[in-house]
Amino acid sequence: MTAPTPTAPTPRPRPRPFRWGPVLALAAMIVGAAVMVYPYAFTVGASFKTRKEFSQDRHGLIPPRFQPAERIQHARGRPSALDWEGADWPVMKNYADAITYGRIDVYMLNSFFYAVVITAVQLTVNVLAAYAFARMEFRGKGVLFSLLLATMMLPPAVLLVPQFLVVGWLGLVDSFWGVVLPGFAGAFGIFLLRQFFLNIPLSLEEAARLDGCGPMGILWRVILPLSKPVLVTLGLFTFMGAWNSFIWPLVVLSDQSYYPLTVGLSLFRDDSGGDWPRVFAASVMGSGPLLLLFLLAQRYLVGGISLSGLKGQ
Amino acid sequence: MQRNQPAAYLYIAPAFTIMVLFSFVTMGISFFVSLHDWDAFRGRGEFVGAGNYVRALTDLGGPFWIAMANTALYVVMAVVGVLCTALPLAMLCRKARRGQSLFRTLYFIPSITPMVVISLTWTVLLKNWGNIVDKPATALLSIALVGIWQGAGYNMLLFLAGLSEIPDVYYDAARVDGAGPLAEFRHITLPLLRNTLIFVTIMVIIGAFQVFTQAYIMTEGGPGRSTEVLALLVFRNAFMYGGQMGFASAMAWLLFAVLFVFILIQMRVFRSRKVYDQ
Repeated sequence: MTAPTPTAPTPRPRPRPFRWGPVLALAAMIVGAAVMVYPYAFTVGASFKTRKEFSQDRHGLIPPRFQPAERIQHARGRPSALDWEGADWPVMKNYADAITYGRIDVYMLNSFFYAVVITAVQLTVNVLAAYAFARMEFRGKGVLFSLLLATMMLPPAVLLVPQFLVVGWLGLVDSFWGVVLPGFAGAFGIFLLRQFFLNIPLSLEEAARLDGCGPMGILWRVILPLSKPVLVTLGLFTFMGAWNSFIWPLVVLSDQSYYPLTVGLSLFRDDSGGDWPRVFAASVMGSGPLLLLFLLAQRYLVGGISLSGLKGQ
Repeated sequence: MQRNQPAAYLYIAPAFTIMVLFSFVTMGISFFVSLHDWDAFRGRGEFVGAGNYVRALTDLGGPFWIAMANTALYVVMAVVGVLCTALPLAMLCRKARRGQSLFRTLYFIPSITPMVVISLTWTVLLKNWGNIVDKPATALLSIALVGIWQGAGYNMLLFLAGLSEIPDVYYDAARVDGAGPLAEFRHITLPLLRNTLIFVTIMVIIGAFQVFTQAYIMTEGGPGRSTEVLALLVFRNAFMYGGQMGFASAMAWLLFAVLFVFILIQMRVFRSRKVYDQ
């Protein structure tokens, strides 16, 4: 909206007094950012420490043996952190240990498969349902859609026990399908996609219909190509939700070779006997790559959040 | 468009099968189980009617009420904490001329990190800083701090979206009238942000009532029972403690009953918001 703004008589330029407001605001934002970033810096730093270093210096971000002061001490032949036990370890030893003893590579691969399968099935199933709700007429449409919306309100904590029983009766406890099956449901996706489909001009479909396209053809050739942004957003959200999920796999799995990253990390912490640097190495290795991917794709995530203001963790 | 397309049922069938099975059927099962003495290994036992509910509710000093009190306290801390961080951050972000996207990104990182990873890091950080995780008086506060830290950025984005819908004209007009920042906040931002505020508050409440991961990873409900929240209690009763699934289901339904009030409010807000968007 560009309403014509009445042109005010230009005031004489006055020297603007220095204002503290913006400076304080910036300072507050920097403090906020530091609070958000510090734990990550701490985790990465600690993941490179030896056990001795971690017990001597729990706060520092840089492992003592890499600090310039310690290096200079060492070069002068004085006692320094470079004499501590483990100072001659390979830099990535904690990471190698996380794979050897913590099987983080296995857990990552598991998480990846779970998330890919859940995302693929959810997108397929939700696209079909959303298309029917956006473009087709059928009896009971309103009631069925309300039912769908109602499932969004059911809290996962309440569904835990009965979902376990259902998966048990299906004979899927402690299996790949047991983990992914409840994750296939996602009313939020249907809702989001329907809203998007509704905004696609009907005339495009009419044209396709005249060219002899059936409903499936229209969905595949007209609707989906136009819906790429929302599909990416929804796909990312679903993937992220599946990747981060913890309580359900914790409940349904007991065979460790099926564990996803989250449950695997929790187990590794319990088994590591307080060897935090190793646990942090596992955390960084396990969550780092996906974190970077989500950050790169944040445009879509942020867009999705502002668009709907719906999906939480 | 055609009148009636029965083919539509084929399109919605896969989604509905899953949804019905894992939402409505499971809710029904949950209720059925809650009326029985239900063992994780032996399965269905004696029918006890409301026995499990009575057991949870009448044991006044018992685990259910302790967990309920802990959870309620956690919810209060989470709501206050999130509102007091997310809203100011959003207002600062909106004001910022440059670097807005950088700050937004930095605040957003925790929302895309697995809660398990966050909990592991903060376990050590909070141990370093006065060990508040291991003290009964502050253990709940420390898991709340982690929840707030994680949720601040995400909710800031919601506020930012709400703020961007307020036309700048209002602020300009207020400035012309000589309103200070406080008056601007009280008379423009707050009233026009009302919907977003309610929405965020309710979402935080619903989420916080189901808190689990921090309590499981950081404190395991301890020390004592000081951080034993409802979701953790349900989990432990169903899958540890000899698997008392009936009792656990009853407590899950009691949690749902509390949540239902907030869900109803949320649905109203949600509906008004939908109209707003279109």
